[in-house]
This record gives sequence, C-alpha cells and structure tokens, in this order.
Amino acid sequence: MPTQEPKLTTQIRFQDFNFYYGAFHALKNIQLDIYQGLVTAFIGPSGCGKSTLLRTINRMYSLYPGQRAEGHLFIDDEDALANDVDLNDLRKRVGMVFQKPTPFPMSIYDNIAYGVRLHERLSRGEMDARVEWALKKAALWDEVKTKLKQEGTSLSGGQQQRLCIARGIAVRPRVLLLDEPTSALDPISTLRIEELISELRGEFTIVIVTHNMQQAARVSDYTAYMYLGELVEYNKTDVIFVKPAKKETEDYITGRFG
Amino acid sequence: MKSTKFSWLAWRRRLLNYTATGLSLLAMAFGLFWLLWILWTTLSLGVSGLSFSLFTQMTPPPGSEGGLANAIVGSLIMVGLATLIGTPIGIFSGIYLAEFAQRGWLGEVIRFMNDVLLSAPSIIIGLFIYAVYVTYRGHFSGAAGVLALALIVIPVVVRTTENMLRLVPSSLREAAFALGAPRWHMIMYVTLRASLAGVMTGILLAVARIAGETAPLLFTALSNQYWSTNLDKPMASLPVVIFKFAMSPFEDWNRLAWAGVFLIVVTVLALNIAARAFFGRKTV
Repeated sequence: MPTQEPKLTTQIRFQDFNFYYGAFHALKNIQLDIYQGLVTAFIGPSGCGKSTLLRTINRMYSLYPGQRAEGHLFIDDEDALANDVDLNDLRKRVGMVFQKPTPFPMSIYDNIAYGVRLHERLSRGEMDARVEWALKKAALWDEVKTKLKQEGTSLSGGQQQRLCIARGIAVRPRVLLLDEPTSALDPISTLRIEELISELRGEFTIVIVTHNMQQAARVSDYTAYMYLGELVEYNKTDVIFVKPAKKETEDYITGRFG
Repeated sequence: MKSTKFSWLAWRRRLLNYTATGLSLLAMAFGLFWLLWILWTTLSLGVSGLSFSLFTQMTPPPGSEGGLANAIVGSLIMVGLATLIGTPIGIFSGIYLAEFAQRGWLGEVIRFMNDVLLSAPSIIIGLFIYAVYVTYRGHFSGAAGVLALALIVIPVVVRTTENMLRLVPSSLREAAFALGAPRWHMIMYVTLRASLAGVMTGILLAVARIAGETAPLLFTALSNQYWSTNLDKPMASLPVVIFKFAMSPFEDWNRLAWAGVFLIVVTVLALNIAARAFFGRKTV
C-alpha cells in the first residue's frame, strides 16, 4: 500500500503529553506524530486511554471540570492547549463522530446545515450545494435525496452514523476524529463506514479509535497500540500487525491478551 | 422424583403469579372505583346545570337566574397571565439547573428551594401574596391572584424542564460542541428542541393544576359578583365561585356550582389528555 517512503507532513503532534481525570493519571508521557491525509488507528484493551487521547485532540475534555492536560499538543503547528485558543474555531477544524449515532432533533437537511451555519454565512443555493456535497461524500445522498425534510432520527442506525459523518464533513474540517464509529452498527453498515473511511482518506486526516483489530488493519495507514495510559508502540499498520517490535503488542494483536 | 419436584415448583410459581396479579388488579380496581365515582358524580350533576346562559350571564343573587360568565372570564385571565409569567421564569431556571449547575452548591440550593416551593400548600402561597401585595395595595385584586398562581406554576415548570433536559443524552450535547457550537446555541437548538414535548407537557400540567386552585385566590383575587376585567379590582374565578355557591343553602347556587365543577373537570381532563398526546410524540 504505501509507496516507497512517501513524504509525510505532521498534522497533530503530542509532546510530553499527560492527562488527568482529577487525581487519576490517565495518559502518561505521550509522544506521537499523526500525519496529514492518512488514517491513524488507536487500538488497545478497554480503559487503555485510546478514547481519552482522541478526545483531547478537539479539547472535548474542557467541558468537564476536573479533567486536565499537561504538556504539548500541536495542531498545524499551533499550540492547541494554550489558554487563548478559540475552542469553537478549533472544533471547526477538528470534527468528531461518536460511538453511537447522534442525529440532532431536526430534519436531515438541518442536521447537515447546523454546523455550517455556526461558522459560515451561505446563501440558500450555496447551502443546498454544501448539504448535497457532504451527503455525497458520506455516501448517503442517494438514500436521502428525496426526503431531506424528514427527521434525522427516522433513518436507520447505519444511515444515522453516515449522517453524523456528513455533518462533520460539512464544516470542512482538516481532521476527522472517529470514536469507535461502528461499534453500535451491524456488519453491513460497518462495511459501508469502512469503505467511506477509505474514500475520505487523503482529503482529511482521520484518527479512528477501534476495539476491532481487523478494522484497524483494514482501514488504517498507521496504528498506535496503547496500554494502561501509555503509548506502547506506534508504526505503519503493516509493521504493527506483521512484525511488531514489542512483545506486548504482539500478544495483544495475536489475541493472547486483551 | 426429579420431575415431581419440578412440577411442584412450577405449580407453586404459578400460584404465586396468580395471587400477585390478582392483588394488583384488586388494588387498581379499588383506586379506579373512587375515581370513576367522582367523575360520574361531577359530570352527571354538572350536566344538569349546563345551559347557554352559563356563558353569557353573571353570577346571580340567590333566587334569580344567572350564569358563570364573569367567573369563567376571570379564571381564563388569571390562569392565562399566571402561565405567561410563570412559564418563561420556570423554563430559564430549569435550563440553568440542567445545563449550567448540574453540580455545585448554588444549583443544589436552588433545587432544594424549588422542591420546597413545589410541595408548599397552596394556601401558604395565597397568604404570602396577601401579606406582601394585597396589604400593600390595600385591597384584593386580580393581579394578586395572578401573582399567587404564577408562584405555583414556576416550581412545576422548573422541575419538569430540568428533568426533561437531563433525559437528553450527553452525547448529543458533545456532538453539538464537537461542531463548534457555543453553549447557548447548543441549548436552544439541540437540547431544548429534543425535550420540547416534555417541557410542553410540564406547562400543560401546571395549567391544569392552577385551573382548579381555590386557596391561593381566596386571599388575593377574592371574587366579584359583576363583570370585571380590571386586574386592579377583585376578580371572580371558577374555583372561588364554586366554593361560595356549593356551601350556600340555595339550590340554584348549588346547581351553578356543579356546572362550574363540570367545566373545571372537563378542562383539566382535556389538558391532561393533551399533555399525554404531546408526550406520546416525544422521540429522543
């Protein structure tokens, strides 16, 4: 898959990064570079901190008092942990899709337009075009183009999840965070989401948390294996799954542990 | 040996099941019996007093013809205004408690005070308004009645709004934040919208409650024999007129009281059914 040493640009950089839930030290001294336009997977057993790490990238933790980060997190060479960071602007650049589909209580059209309206003033025609573009990108357009006025909650689970991906794409972020996006879906819907991830690769930097190792192997370029809040190993997905450097990683991916 | 033991166990469980089901059916029948009796009495006695003049004529002196027009209009004005005043205050307080003060001492204090207000006997609310407003103005008035009823609406709406907002999954909030939505925008367009049916239900139940309140109006709006829409004057209301007329020895007054009871029961029933219909459509 990867050609001979492609030129990689770092989009997200964790440096001496630590994270705390109150007194609990959840992420320990993370050093990690996530590359632009590629798909990066975080894997590891439950409670290893992979979701926690993902949720620091759009500063989701800032909603909750008692959760705090130390060290450095750079997104496009900007310090994302600085006090004067405009969180709404950061979250425009870094979109997120959750484990369970979260359609808003409004029409399919408005679900997509909601995020766009927060950041841009578009004419009616421009908005129509943007909604269509996002729904096409998320491979949902053909299924919903005749019922854009219907409630988003009327869609099936898999469609709702693609709606959420479309909603995230619609604001044209640079990074897309996927937090176990298929764990609540059936196998066919899962397959469609995985195909979608492959299609979005290149245009967006995608970071995906998954507890499904086959999924990580199928969709990602780079994989990070985490355990007990530490980043154990990080490399090209091929290397991690075929010839991991550390025994712990091998034990986990061969199913002897976890 | 084993099979007989099993069948004995199955038989015992079946018996227990029938007993429990029977007892709960009995309990339900007991409660329903009184409720239906009350409904039957009020409706059958009330229907006999229904007539067109009920809605066109004023409450009469004993022995002459009349209706309940002034009481009906007084009730509509006071209940309507109290709802208009109490609802926004209640909704905003509920939003504050659910979205801004989930934890923290201020939220806890407000929540506790609201619970106290919610369970305070309504006569105390009436006496409070009497002490601070009626004695200050020097006379009874419709405005005082409105204030008392609004004070009853507020805690009901606060409670239901907070509860309904808390039912909205936090993942929906996070999803809005993840798109870069400011908090107020998220509340207005996502969480409040998701719980709209529940909030509306709370408002309807609050209206149903104050429609039949008598005690808070006795010391505030008092009553008025004549047609009056002046909020600074005493104002008639259905519950107070019922109270007065039902206790009188005059038969035509009693009949009017029953007609008033009929109107209130039907209104409250309709509001409750409307509330259920609203809540039934709720989808989060």
